[in-house]
Amino acid sequence: MQLANLILAQLINGITLGSLYALIALGYTLVYGILLMINFAHSELFMSGAFVGLGVMTLLTSSSIAQKFPVLAPAQAFFTGSNVGVFFMLMIVFLVSMLVVGIMGVIIERFAYRPLRHAPRLAPLISAVGVSLFLQNAVLLWVSAQQIPFPNPIGNGIAFTIGTVDVSVLKVIIFVTAIVLLVALDTFISHSRFGKAMRATSQDREAAGLMGIDINFSIMLAFFIGPALGAVAGIFNGMYYGSIVFNMGFLPGLKAFTAAVLGGIGNLRGAMLGGFVLGIAESLASGFISTGYKDVIAFAILILVLIFRPGGLLGESVVEKV
Amino acid sequence: MSTKRMLAAASLLVAVAMISTGCGGSSSGSSSTSSGPTEVKIGIGAPLTAGATALGQGMVRGAELAIEQANASSTVTAAGLKFTPVSGDDQGDPKTGVTVANTFASDPALVGVMGHLNSGVSIPASKVYADKKIVMISPASTNPALTQQGLSNVFRVCTTDAVQGPAAADFATKLLGFKSVYVVDDSTPYGEGLAKAFADQFTANGGKVVGTAKTSDKDSDFNALVTKMKSTNPDFIYYGGVYNAGALLAKQAKDGGIKGPLMGGDGLYDPQFIALAGAAEAEGDFATSVGLPIDKLPAGQDFLTAYNKKYPGQAPAAYDAYSYDAANVIIAAVVEAAKSVGADKVVSPAGRDEIIKDVAATNMVGVTGPIAFDKNGDTTNKAITLYTVSGGKWITKALPQ
Repeated sequence: MQLANLILAQLINGITLGSLYALIALGYTLVYGILLMINFAHSELFMSGAFVGLGVMTLLTSSSIAQKFPVLAPAQAFFTGSNVGVFFMLMIVFLVSMLVVGIMGVIIERFAYRPLRHAPRLAPLISAVGVSLFLQNAVLLWVSAQQIPFPNPIGNGIAFTIGTVDVSVLKVIIFVTAIVLLVALDTFISHSRFGKAMRATSQDREAAGLMGIDINFSIMLAFFIGPALGAVAGIFNGMYYGSIVFNMGFLPGLKAFTAAVLGGIGNLRGAMLGGFVLGIAESLASGFISTGYKDVIAFAILILVLIFRPGGLLGESVVEKV
Repeated sequence: MSTKRMLAAASLLVAVAMISTGCGGSSSGSSSTSSGPTEVKIGIGAPLTAGATALGQGMVRGAELAIEQANASSTVTAAGLKFTPVSGDDQGDPKTGVTVANTFASDPALVGVMGHLNSGVSIPASKVYADKKIVMISPASTNPALTQQGLSNVFRVCTTDAVQGPAAADFATKLLGFKSVYVVDDSTPYGEGLAKAFADQFTANGGKVVGTAKTSDKDSDFNALVTKMKSTNPDFIYYGGVYNAGALLAKQAKDGGIKGPLMGGDGLYDPQFIALAGAAEAEGDFATSVGLPIDKLPAGQDFLTAYNKKYPGQAPAAYDAYSYDAANVIIAAVVEAAKSVGADKVVSPAGRDEIIKDVAATNMVGVTGPIAFDKNGDTTNKAITLYTVSGGKWITKALPQ
């Protein structure tokens, strides 16, 4: 019984972690799907999302800002006063951060990747690493090298208890938000006009262009949606762990990239599945083997999957065109 | 044609001006023997952009305060010396630390290093300094191995984990009455050494270690570990590591329903620990730190006054005062050496030998207490104080026993 509870508790930790990985992994997979390029700046967009989110949240709730700008005081009282207020506050935080980071993604695509679209594949890759370093250092200089505490307005309330395992409201919200966003994106890609255009672009960019699809717009859309979802993960990451720092993107970015590859890069459902598999494996590994080995186990799973299913869990093996 | 020449001349001028100001007048250093004081550089090696940056930036503040005061004092000007601080960002990373050490070692005017923070950085860096006879005084590296390498140039003004770990265990069993503990460390030489020294003494005192875990100093997710710890129901958690990961562990442990406090060493003793964990979550957590509380020492008040004047609104981090003292030990030794070999020769090999000899013979009262070194270069001041978080601040819980 004790063991069953422990496994359940670790599964819940893993699902929460997996939700975050899945949200970030979608950004990698969307860009890879459409451009066959790995956007190494994505982990920094995830980090930027957390910083923009913290900025907006501070503006909406901090008492020192209300003292400087009394105009904001009544709005702040509403945003911190009740559960409804907190809900609206968080909605604004998430939407603004998604918008800002989404636009950052589009700008990066326009200036760092589009000029290199017809260059050899290595060029945009290097450009992406450059953007990643640029964003990290920009935040380092503008904000600080220090870890910054991130408030959790949702608190540590318990949503429900299974056996002796308490599941916090925050964990439920992270999971539900991730699932809603993932389903919404899946529906958008499979059924909407823009989604179909994106899929066509990803299948054959030139033919799609000849058929009258605006391929630049499709690519832009991928570069908006991916980072916007990354921003959501960034804010949740801050609330869940309690602090953010300029280089926080690196490890989750690497894990999410692993998740995307694990699920079959370019495949949306694969990215979600990969995220959850990786999160759960990591939590079980830290719970039952050793915390020190969690990264080793995560990457060992990746290697095993790639040996036996080179295309990833849900990926199709692509026949090389001759 | 003439405009082109003007432009070339102007840019040359700008370049020369930039070189002479930007590099802190490196050209003037040892060559200017007759006019003005000899410039002596002191390296400050600390994590400034990654790792425990609050502690590292505090080290720079402490050392720069000491150097500023030295340059204004008559003993230094009478000796014909002028000190310049050069800070190097080791990022708390051994590889980067060695790069910083090599940069310091390649500067002929640099005779001493105040640093580094992390034992994992100090140990490899100390070998680089040994080759160039650069004296190194760490204000904060507490792993015993640092001074057991047989290097004559290595000193520290903080006592070691071999003292701190057992002292923490004694506080835990005798003063706080804890019986069971979950020991976590961050897999760095500092964290591992401290956690092991603590666990050994805790067991010897009759306490029970109900579990151990290794994490990384870059971890931010401790939820799985907390779930595992919770099932063993320990009286408290002992964490060997620094505040940036430690604060997140403290927060996630409280959020995850662990009732007992978190205890750790000097690496946690920083206001940033409370800021990151949250005042409510950190309430009741403990940290031991080396030496006596600064405000309890006679010279400590003068230090705090001067510190507040130079850095208004800044509270000293754990090692600011130790860095101030370490820098002062180097400065005093350089002044001594200047007297015996001459100001223009302090940076020469003979001068460097003399400086190391003078540091080893140090016998002074710093702001952190009396400073003298044993034959390994360890401080003879072995006091450990227990602090606790109360009302969002670190307060003294118990003085050395």
